[in-house]
Amino acid sequence: MINYIIRRLLIMPILLIGITILIFGMLSLLTPYERAALYVTDIPKRQGAIEEIIEKYGLDDPIHIQYWNWMVGAKDPDTGEIKGGVLRGNLGWSKVGKSTVVEVIGRRLPASAELALWSAPPLIGLAIWMGIRAAVNQNKFVDQILRILAIAGWSVPTFVFGLLLLLYFYSDLGWFAPGRLSIGMNEIVQSDAFVNYTNMHTIDAILNLRFDVFVEAVKHLVLPVVTLSVVSWAFLLRITRTSMLDTLRQDYITTARSKGLQERKVVRRHAVPNALIPVITVGGLTLISLFNGVVITETIFNIHGMGSFLAQAATALDVVSVLGVTLFSSTVLVVGNLVVDVLYGIVDPRIRLD
Amino acid sequence: MTLRYVLSKLIKNPTAVIGLVLLLGFIILAVGAPQFAPVPENSRDPFMIPRDGFRSEPQGPSEDHIMGTTEGQYDIWYGVVWGSRTAFRIGIVITLFTTLIGVLIGSISAYFGGWIDEVLMRITEIFQAFPFLLTAITLTSVLQAVYGRGDQGFTIWTAKILAFLTFGHSLFEDINPIQLSIITGMIAIIIFGWMTIARVTRGNILAVKNFEYALAARTIGARDSRILFRHLLPNAIFPVLVIASMNIGSYVLTFAALSFLGLGAQVGYADWGQMISFARNWISSLADYSHIIMYPGTVILLFVLSWNLVGDALRDILDPRLRGSN
Repeated sequence: MINYIIRRLLIMPILLIGITILIFGMLSLLTPYERAALYVTDIPKRQGAIEEIIEKYGLDDPIHIQYWNWMVGAKDPDTGEIKGGVLRGNLGWSKVGKSTVVEVIGRRLPASAELALWSAPPLIGLAIWMGIRAAVNQNKFVDQILRILAIAGWSVPTFVFGLLLLLYFYSDLGWFAPGRLSIGMNEIVQSDAFVNYTNMHTIDAILNLRFDVFVEAVKHLVLPVVTLSVVSWAFLLRITRTSMLDTLRQDYITTARSKGLQERKVVRRHAVPNALIPVITVGGLTLISLFNGVVITETIFNIHGMGSFLAQAATALDVVSVLGVTLFSSTVLVVGNLVVDVLYGIVDPRIRLD
Repeated sequence: MTLRYVLSKLIKNPTAVIGLVLLLGFIILAVGAPQFAPVPENSRDPFMIPRDGFRSEPQGPSEDHIMGTTEGQYDIWYGVVWGSRTAFRIGIVITLFTTLIGVLIGSISAYFGGWIDEVLMRITEIFQAFPFLLTAITLTSVLQAVYGRGDQGFTIWTAKILAFLTFGHSLFEDINPIQLSIITGMIAIIIFGWMTIARVTRGNILAVKNFEYALAARTIGARDSRILFRHLLPNAIFPVLVIASMNIGSYVLTFAALSFLGLGAQVGYADWGQMISFARNWISSLADYSHIIMYPGTVILLFVLSWNLVGDALRDILDPRLRGSN
């Protein structure tokens, strides 16, 4: 067990270094002028200023030196101050966000995290439950319906689905509006009486005991949460079904049945726990698809989160911001996947042995 | 495991048949595009959707425009029809390259094993560590910044080869900016889209690597490349190719998402994702202009669905664990 965890832990730095190399590879396609945003916030409007900055931070040095500077920071030869440096938590200056990339991420993250938090548990629960139902009723009516729903679910483009939801539930029926809060509620949240602990409106509302704000925030979350969940839901459903079918074919299930156990008990006690083990491995993939979905979902529903920031920065060709966000999200993903892998090792003794 | 075996299984599967029929429909639509939506005489590029005026407000379906017009009076029917050509072109070229890269890396990794395998698989893992759409967006915007500069270094040749394959564009002329922005999206998807194919190929080669015929070939002194390409690949590659070809749907979906965000195809190009992106400006009145999302949205859903229906059935047929059941 310890061996397994150590092995996983050793792979993580390799992945992280690989990620930084790839990101830096993309950065190095840019001109030194564009890369200057990694170290300075503004280029003074006088002659020779750009050349000075390029010289100062070695933006035309050989690539490995630049990589090193980008990772640990470059020393300003005049003031001795160290600028930049990914490892120091410095991702450069965002032209679109008009502050450092790290500040923008800090500002934008709560909205995205709230969205993911409300999406993941219901979607995982629902998908697993439906997957089990489909497998138990293999090739029967329920299975066929769920199969079609699942295939439709991962074929429908997120942006089409989200816009259709807006068409019916906002434009037509007027039930749910885009954005995070209505203007009136936004004023309450911004006021001094309301303490923003996490900047996730639903959680803050509960902590402030403002249930009107809570209801309002939830109402704004319904459509984006559904939009974000659909693809991952369909995917998880199919995985659960396959794994459950595999398990139901095992000998010990036949044994359980032949000793006269009720089918319900066979499924619940014997099949489901084992069938769910492989489902954990795709937990990481679910995380990935949430990250992907957030970009489109936030753009459609006008939520000022990290995803919509990425889309904005990308269309404005603010490459330093874009790469910063990507570096941040992939690091989160790698750590998330590590947690999933370790969990997998704990649940499944077969993994530990080899 | 021959093509005939797979096909015979496929046509017995009702959902796969629906998928195949839909696909056939799309092929007819794409091939017959000039008949279904004639190109206006004054058009310079048939892939640019003709406009009927410049008013911003979308117009509902009428006699002139059977699916109505979207913002800026672009004809939706024309875009839907010619968009099918765009989808096939983009999807096929991307699939070609991802499969090529994936098969190459996967087979080398499996055949040589040892440290080569270790290194290649770590690299694959690194590419997989990124969220796909996020990096596709990122790389597209990087490439657009690079190509937008005008001083075109070695990277332009990748773009030129892709432009040649996708649009039949001459290798020795400059690519026009409209095609170039599509190419940037395609390159991004290719670079971050080959990993699954590499892993599947690797797994399949590993499975056949130690069979007697491979051993026999080695004993009579065949070269590595001969064993790999003449003996192993033909036996292991077939399921990979079939499954890889089904990726066309998901690549088109990703590209549509890029276009929707304003990164792939430019405004006015016959591309489904780009057409839907107009709807973003009409959110509060979408109920009045439902046609601007319904028609292109349905088409792209059906396109992706048809690939997934066939692909899903194929995966079941080719999965050795499921074979023989039922």
